[in-house]
Amino acid sequence: MNSLEFRLAWRSLGRNPRRTGLTLAATSFAMMLVVNMTGLSNGSHEEMVENGVRMASGHLSLMAPDHLEERTLEQPLAWTQSLRTHLESVPDIKGFAPRMDAFALVSHEESAQGMLIRGSDPTRENTVSEIEDRLTTGRFLRQGESREIVLGQKGAQTLGVELGDQVLLYGMAYSLESAYELFTVVGLVRFPDAELERTLAFISLEDAQAFFVYADRVTEVAILAEDSYQVEDLQNRLTQTLSNGDLRVHTWQEVVPELDQIIAIDKGGMYLILLLLTVVVGFGILNTILMAVLERKREFGILLALGLKPSKIFKVVYLESLLLAGVGIVIGLAISIPMVLYLQAHPIPITGNAAEGISQLNIEVSITSKFRASNPIRSTLIMMGVAVVAAFYPALKASRGQPIDVVQNA
Amino acid sequence: MSNYLKVVIILLLGSAQPSLALASLRPASPGMSATQIANRAEESLRGDQTVIQAQMTVRSPRLTQPRMIEFTSWDDRLGKRSFTRMEAPAKDKGTGFLKVHPNLWMYIPRVERTVRIPPSMMLQSWMGSDLTNDDLVRESSQTDDYDHRLLGIEDTVKNHPDREAYVVEYIPHEDTPVVWGKIIAWIDTERDVTLRQEFYDEDDVLIRTMQYQEIQPVEKRWVSHLWILTPEQKEGHETQVRIKRIEFDAEIDDTVFTKRNLKKGLR
Repeated sequence: MNSLEFRLAWRSLGRNPRRTGLTLAATSFAMMLVVNMTGLSNGSHEEMVENGVRMASGHLSLMAPDHLEERTLEQPLAWTQSLRTHLESVPDIKGFAPRMDAFALVSHEESAQGMLIRGSDPTRENTVSEIEDRLTTGRFLRQGESREIVLGQKGAQTLGVELGDQVLLYGMAYSLESAYELFTVVGLVRFPDAELERTLAFISLEDAQAFFVYADRVTEVAILAEDSYQVEDLQNRLTQTLSNGDLRVHTWQEVVPELDQIIAIDKGGMYLILLLLTVVVGFGILNTILMAVLERKREFGILLALGLKPSKIFKVVYLESLLLAGVGIVIGLAISIPMVLYLQAHPIPITGNAAEGISQLNIEVSITSKFRASNPIRSTLIMMGVAVVAAFYPALKASRGQPIDVVQNA
Repeated sequence: MSNYLKVVIILLLGSAQPSLALASLRPASPGMSATQIANRAEESLRGDQTVIQAQMTVRSPRLTQPRMIEFTSWDDRLGKRSFTRMEAPAKDKGTGFLKVHPNLWMYIPRVERTVRIPPSMMLQSWMGSDLTNDDLVRESSQTDDYDHRLLGIEDTVKNHPDREAYVVEYIPHEDTPVVWGKIIAWIDTERDVTLRQEFYDEDDVLIRTMQYQEIQPVEKRWVSHLWILTPEQKEGHETQVRIKRIEFDAEIDDTVFTKRNLKKGLR
């Protein structure tokens, strides 16, 4: 860096602290906006994904080929000790849960309701769906106990059952035999999605395999990644180590495309707002620097008269702008990163009507942020880009002055 | 293959199918209306009160051996009620189904529980077969809930080459909760017996075919003693119902159609 130009730029910034301060404030405020917006948007999307996939099939789902399309018992997945051991050994897997999903009629006295019966491993289910947190009364299934069922609160209401009551499950086994068995209600859960709460029931995987005559088989294994950003990488690793022709690793985007679409629409909206914000910030910076340059016409005229080359003046002004932007970005980051981190640690729950509307998507909501390294980096690049473009015209304008006019008119 | 080409081929095949199936169709002479034909067919299948004893064979890729089911069914057409009792296999012995319009109950003796089957389960498989609960209770009446249109007469029917049949299209009334988009039935012009039925969904896709074989006279009626149901989209699946005994115009006691009888298990 040429020291003369740098010194000139630095000094002129210091010479008018109010002007510099205002521009700095504008830049750092814009930076704060961009970083926080990105953080909030990351936060809400990741929360949507987390909540959505926990109740669905996890970040990743192991299924037999064609099961994703067919969703019947005809595509069994062998649930073996080696598969279990393998999943336990893979780093970055936060939890996994084998499931055996099938339909059955659940009835009590005169009421009956067709439900999706989820046979789940009592020791593993919670690692994916955090079902224990959703319990309102009673408890979740317990290892070693059999013929226990956990219903949604609304499902229990429809059937008119309470804790301790017996319900009859009637369905068709894989062997096409009729299957019926009495189960005792041991727990009730709440789901954000009313339909799910009415029609999803949990029994132990062992019971489900006995009831539906589906020994040692499951319909899927739901996997939760430590970090939703690793999902694709994890998918690749699992596909490489597990693919032996009779198993597929699907991402949640494949299993619940609706959720992906909702997020894509939301992201589109955010990018549009970010774009508008960037344009506004750009014009703000342009305006401030331009005003500063016009104010200093006389100064530049004298410099030119003293023999400073126009290209140097251009450099000086450009440097000033970039310095301003740089300092503004640093201040912006210094303020906004703690804000993002704070909201990440202390989400603000959304309640009332708004929550009601959103929860139909089976998503629980709160205002939260998520800090990703990509956020400050991208925001910095955006802001620097804006500064580089916006400072061009004022710098050009400053270097194009005619010393004689300037000095005469002054 | 380009998508465009696929569409053209599908359109060609789609439009060609009905004309292929009804290649030998000729217009029917006036005289009998479609509804009359449909009524007669219904009459030949069901008396006012009918008792049927039957054996059902279910074939499926899931099974190494066909699954055999035996049952007796009492049907009171006018009272819109019916009663079915399973006799085999052992696991289901004594299980009963009671329909008193519009409800359907099931009783399972092993757990001593009565279950009311909700309307949403009507399309579910009955006892693991390709028949549905709806087929069992005939919740929808093929004469009352459908409009009938006579498509013509076919000289020969696919599964009965030597028989001549009316081809009747059944289209459900808009307000009836019927599961089919349309049904096409081949009804013997002389014997009134239904020889074949094709069941289509709302998009005119063939879902299943019922073939009525072994037609023999019973009490002045021609009756099929072997029904073969083939679902189109489930390869390897087939359900056969063999009629072991059929009694039309039986005198069925009112007590048959009660929950008390349901809970009796096997007589």
